[in-house]
Amino acid sequence: MPMSQKSLHLRLGIAASLFALFLVLFAIPTFVFAPSNIGNIILSPKFWPYVLAGLTGIIGLSLLANAVTAAEDTPFEDEETVHPEGSAPWMRLGALAVIMVLVMFGLPRLGMVWTAMLAFAACAFLFRTRHPVAALVCAVIVPLLLYAFFAHVAGVAIPQGNFVRLP
Amino acid sequence: MSLLDSLSAGLALVGNVEAFLMLFIGLVVGVVAGAIPGLSATMAVALTLPFTFSMTPINAILLLLGVYKGGIFGGSIPAILIKTPGTPASSATILDGHPMAERGEAGRALGMALYASCTADAVSNLALILFAGWLASFALNFGPPEFFALILFSLTIIAGVSGESLLRGALSALAGLLLATIGLDLVYGTNRFTLGDPNMMGGLNFIAVLIGLFAIPEIIAMAWNPVAHLGRTRALGKSRCTLADYLGSFKSIIRGSMIGVFLGSIPGIGAAPSAFLSYSEARRTSKNKDNFGKGEIEGVAASEAGNNGVAGATLIPLLALGVPGDVITAIIIGAFMVHGLQPGPMMFILNVDIIYGLFIGLIVSSVFLLFVGSVAIRGFRFVADVPKRILMPGVLVLCIYGVFAVNNNIFDVGVMFVMGWVGYIMMRNRIPAAPFLIAFILGPLLEDNFRQSMLMSGSDPSILFRGPITWFFWLLTTITVFAITRSTLRKRVPLS
Repeated sequence: MPMSQKSLHLRLGIAASLFALFLVLFAIPTFVFAPSNIGNIILSPKFWPYVLAGLTGIIGLSLLANAVTAAEDTPFEDEETVHPEGSAPWMRLGALAVIMVLVMFGLPRLGMVWTAMLAFAACAFLFRTRHPVAALVCAVIVPLLLYAFFAHVAGVAIPQGNFVRLP
Repeated sequence: MSLLDSLSAGLALVGNVEAFLMLFIGLVVGVVAGAIPGLSATMAVALTLPFTFSMTPINAILLLLGVYKGGIFGGSIPAILIKTPGTPASSATILDGHPMAERGEAGRALGMALYASCTADAVSNLALILFAGWLASFALNFGPPEFFALILFSLTIIAGVSGESLLRGALSALAGLLLATIGLDLVYGTNRFTLGDPNMMGGLNFIAVLIGLFAIPEIIAMAWNPVAHLGRTRALGKSRCTLADYLGSFKSIIRGSMIGVFLGSIPGIGAAPSAFLSYSEARRTSKNKDNFGKGEIEGVAASEAGNNGVAGATLIPLLALGVPGDVITAIIIGAFMVHGLQPGPMMFILNVDIIYGLFIGLIVSSVFLLFVGSVAIRGFRFVADVPKRILMPGVLVLCIYGVFAVNNNIFDVGVMFVMGWVGYIMMRNRIPAAPFLIAFILGPLLEDNFRQSMLMSGSDPSILFRGPITWFFWLLTTITVFAITRSTLRKRVPLS
């Protein structure tokens, strides 16, 4: 079922209000540090985050009010909010998230070039490419070309990993 | 320094093959990227940024400006041929461009799009050259309270007009401002939301955040629906845009260019509203108003002039005030910073050679665009045939290399991935990403100017209203909030 403005604002309003409460009650007192000798609250490092948290709360409540008082509810009808049938899209999203986690894990161990080759190939097959051979060729060539540019032209120390090192 | 001296200094900086080659390459990259649906001009500029780190500042910025200008024009090609705008700014071009393509007049529509784009680009560049220096000299009078009021106005208008809802735009801007508080405090040097991680003490890397917000969500969207991009490409046809067509639409082109210049010079409005306003003005005043929406060449001219008229003008607030006019100029401000330059009024004194070098480069870019665009129109079929399901993994790999190259830090790659998912969630929830990014860039400036004002006045908030300049920006902010709220409330009243 397509999402509507009312349900979207209700959802965002609840999320923003809860996030503002989280900031005010927990995150700012715990993770923002201010010297104890500041006499004026306006100059404290905590002042600005509190102002932003307060404004986030106000916007959250406004979104909720907007959702509750909306006279009519029109569903959005575009591809951003349309859900394709079945669970396959969710599985592909999950797989892409796993690929990203593996990239983070692989970069210091395998090196950027080999990790990028594997990530390229995995993504191409995840996106159900109709050109598997071209995808594999590109998976090898693109990371190598980028390595050549960044390592030898731009002088960036590309991570080489623990196994195979490139010149 | 006289105007002639400044021009000579600028010419000395760009008067070499390398600078013009970079501009040309940038235009080619921009046109190609803009022509591929899903690879917007914004993404193209963001992905090109890491390649500029090893270049001289002028070459780097000319390359990025070339990508920007090429990308805005390139977006009109798929808008006309496959009814899919390459960039949001090309949405208005579809209205008449695609019906023309269906009639077999795609070549004529694309020709007009190119000539209107180049004309508007030249007008916009001229406006930049005329007004940026004047505005910068005026901005030299600004102190922290004036800059605070200006940035607040910019953020308000960006939050209000870049999406469909002021509330969602404001939420996006607040999230960007909150993200910008991560790192060491600007005055006392204490930790804010760093979680004890040294990687976060300098704040989140700007390039990781922007690439995460504007490139990674497209890759995630491809995982969600890998066939969403498929469409039918129309042939160019035999008819071409003639001088009579161009002269017939000249009034609309100039009017559209002026609209683009005016809206582009206001931070935050961007090219899409300008294109639609230019289109609706052309329709209102045209002799052929009944043909608009059915394939009227004047409609293509007006919308393309509107969106390209913005390209030079968005650089006016960027160069003169240090405030990015839209997302792409927000990325370009990043390029300035990477190269140790701070756009703003002082740049017109300290780096006048770069400013005039850019002006010269921009004038030449309109001529280059005419040439590159003509070739691109004929070569579009090859660009359209690039398999997106191979292109997107390539973009992912490019993002990884590019973001790592900023600081040689794998942590930044992680930030990019996280911001990618944040951007995707925002996209799915129709929260505009532009206010987030611009607020993330302007956040430290806003807070810094606020705290400096408070230090100057002994914490007396009345300093924020200290003179005509601050009153002017506060008035504009109030009018903006009032106008947007009023239009939102009007939309909610059901039609009886």
